Amino acid sequence: MAAGAYVEFARKAFAREATYRMEVFTLVGSLILRVYLLRSLWTALYAQNAEPPGLPLHSMITYATVALLMSLVLEVDGTRLIRERVREGTIATDLMKPISVPIYFFSDGLGQTLLHALLIVPSLLFALLLVHVDVPPPQTLAAFAFAFLLGYGVNFFINFLMNSVAFWTLETFAMQLIVRWGSDLLSGQIIPLMFFPGALGRFVFALPFAAVYSTPLLIYVGIIPASQWPRYFFIQACWLASFGLLSLWVWTAASRRIVVQGG
Amino acid sequence: MLAAYVEYWRINLLTMLEYRANFVMWFVFAVFYHGVALAALTVTMLQFPSMNGWNLREMFFLYALWMTAHELHNALFFNVVAVPEYIREGRFDRFLVRPFDTLFQVLTVPAQIFPDGLILAIVTLCFAVGVAGVRVDAFFVAFVPLVVMGGALIDLGISLVIATIAFWFIRVDTLRWVVMSLEQDFTRYPISIYTRAVGIVLSFVFPFAFMNYFPASYFLNKTDVALNLNPAVGLLTPAIGVAWVAVAYAFWRVGLRHYEGTGS
Repeated sequence: MAAGAYVEFARKAFAREATYRMEVFTLVGSLILRVYLLRSLWTALYAQNAEPPGLPLHSMITYATVALLMSLVLEVDGTRLIRERVREGTIATDLMKPISVPIYFFSDGLGQTLLHALLIVPSLLFALLLVHVDVPPPQTLAAFAFAFLLGYGVNFFINFLMNSVAFWTLETFAMQLIVRWGSDLLSGQIIPLMFFPGALGRFVFALPFAAVYSTPLLIYVGIIPASQWPRYFFIQACWLASFGLLSLWVWTAASRRIVVQGG
Repeated sequence: MLAAYVEYWRINLLTMLEYRANFVMWFVFAVFYHGVALAALTVTMLQFPSMNGWNLREMFFLYALWMTAHELHNALFFNVVAVPEYIREGRFDRFLVRPFDTLFQVLTVPAQIFPDGLILAIVTLCFAVGVAGVRVDAFFVAFVPLVVMGGALIDLGISLVIATIAFWFIRVDTLRWVVMSLEQDFTRYPISIYTRAVGIVLSFVFPFAFMNYFPASYFLNKTDVALNLNPAVGLLTPAIGVAWVAVAYAFWRVGLRHYEGTGS
């Protein structure tokens, strides 16, 4: 199957998402209010308490703003389609088509992601009216982009696995939301993971969620120095490989299950 | 009308007894949802012990007060949130031809509503009152339920306004989601951390600050209240709730007339 088909799938998904203009505006609008909220919050907290080591107020605001912009891309659940298709039973016809279904879902997710990635531009411009965002040197920026890419992969496979549970139990929504809320907290999206005290802090850094938000963000604000980059990239790559292989295995088992059941 | 409402809750309770497993599931759900929010607050405040003069225990009380009002709203008025769906599916029109108030009919659509969140919220509130060192006297005991009801009415007002918007624009799901999550985010902190303009909006335009910040300031004997108001304004919450619902209801009537007018 030519790669051209998958590019087409991504284009379709992009166009489909772009039709909901009203939703897109609401999303950007709410993001701006959130930037205002995080500025007020961290400013108030820094004004009356001791500064945490290595993270002055401007770095904290940068961290929180970049995290919000990242969430525009990372909160797109591209593999939600799996759950819907399984529930409606149309997954059977998908499997009959001469395409690789997982890559089809990936392309579809990528298309949605690209639209949301475009939204980063206006969101950032509006955000800059409210807050100052530090810009690190080019090599740090490149390292951030690389870590973000790895994090995107990890996030994709976590979602993929969550949605694939639908092959076994049809109701996955509750579990998915619980994992989503947990990961908001444990990935470092809301608060930097180093604010977790003692052993708990070491524990949350060891979880796969840290690879999604925490690693790219800590590289961005310079808490992870250049000498430590390879170590963190390696950990992210490990999670990516593990979840990737796990997904492959789950997918094989799931599609066989459907065939055996006479789908 | 009251008799009909009592009957509605009798049936609802019987349904609940029938679906015990769902009840447990939603309870776990509620525990996780609020657990994550409170955990985030706790971790933040271990690092930064003071938020404009509020400590973690007081912030806990602030959250619990909002949570109880919000969950009371979810238990009693959650159907309002489903109005856009009724309109989309054409199920709304039958309310218009029956001899009861339309809003009342919406509120009494049989739905599996479990007051899990509310039970959890009351437990959390009792606990928070204990740790925050709130002085509990007869006045407090009598007034807290009124504050919670007032807060639930403020929430109802917002839900009603969003539902009314659906009479013009069919798709309001994103708007509703955004408003609800922003409400939760902005009410989690003392409004004194915001600029004056935002404080005024949160107090008098969308009066979320009356759900928790003003009453909590009063009960915790705070002296420096946002916008330089007297802490006693916290006692106005029930009145603000009633006023806000009255305004929202008027808007709802306008929307309803528009909807009937287009005859769709």
